[in-house]
Amino acid sequence: MSSLQVWQSLLAISLMALIAYGSRVLGLLIMATVPLSPLVRRFVDAMSSSVLIAVITPMIVHGDGGARLAAVAAGAVAIGLRSPLVSIAVGITCAASWRWWFS
Amino acid sequence: MTSKENPTRLDRAGTWKGIRLMLPLAAFTVAFGLAFGVAAVHQGLADWEAMLMSLFVFAAPSQFAALELWHTPLPLLALAAITLAIHTRHMLMSAALYPWLKPLPRRQQFAMVILLTDSNWAMALGEYHRGERNLGVLLGGGIALWSAWVVGTAIGLVFGGGITEPERFGLDVIMLCFLLMIVVGGKPRAIMAVPWLAAAISALMAYWWLPPYLHVMVGALTGGVIAVLLPGRWFRETGS
Repeated sequence: MSSLQVWQSLLAISLMALIAYGSRVLGLLIMATVPLSPLVRRFVDAMSSSVLIAVITPMIVHGDGGARLAAVAAGAVAIGLRSPLVSIAVGITCAASWRWWFS
Repeated sequence: MTSKENPTRLDRAGTWKGIRLMLPLAAFTVAFGLAFGVAAVHQGLADWEAMLMSLFVFAAPSQFAALELWHTPLPLLALAAITLAIHTRHMLMSAALYPWLKPLPRRQQFAMVILLTDSNWAMALGEYHRGERNLGVLLGGGIALWSAWVVGTAIGLVFGGGITEPERFGLDVIMLCFLLMIVVGGKPRAIMAVPWLAAAISALMAYWWLPPYLHVMVGALTGGVIAVLLPGRWFRETGS
């Protein structure tokens, strides 16, 4: 790893940390001046979950059968059982067994 | 509102209570941290990079999403934009806590939200509605989760290096399953399917036809805009 790469990744991590902490503080600052309107809340709410959808959709569409099966199974478990860890465990198991049988 | 007879406090007893209340979830957080550590090793991150992230960013969804973009040269702008989009959620959370934090001096208010994250926020707000005024509950919960996340990451980094073919064991889908679980596991209202579908379709089209990494921003904004355009009564809050 070159020193440029090191600096770049330090910069990236600092940026992430700054934004992560900044948004926690920003909520307080905004509330101290004007309360958030329901419309703004709805936009922010939908946006912060849509960003995750946008990250995973290409992973599912361009993933192999194992990844797709894992997504379906993990999603179903997350909705049905509401158990995060079981959901991830089922996803891993599905992907591993798919690849065991089909590749 | 009842803060006259039961004012905002912050002390060691409250902090211990917060730590104890979060312990069961902290056990799971160790496992998530472990998953992150393994995924980070698999994605080619140096140990110190993953560790710094867990220490200072302390946010599983952003960290997992960042792994997806972690190629040299690092797309700094895309990373910042995605982190921002994911973290606007925390802005709403700290805003909800404002009435509780209001009596404190500003510097202490800012210090109280350093370890604010989804689980300890939900727990602390629940306690607040039940009459708890000791902010140690929020802080203690954060301490428990943060320690668990950091310890878990460390274990994952140590253990993940020993696995040469992560795909064979399905370890490459950890990230996917985790993000999916965050989205659908939080008891979303059925109406959210509409903005999410729009987000998925627009993200996919942007992924195919626009420059790299833009698909995340496109999907996020589409989801937000669609949610605002739908009739407000479809979003009637049931709880808090």
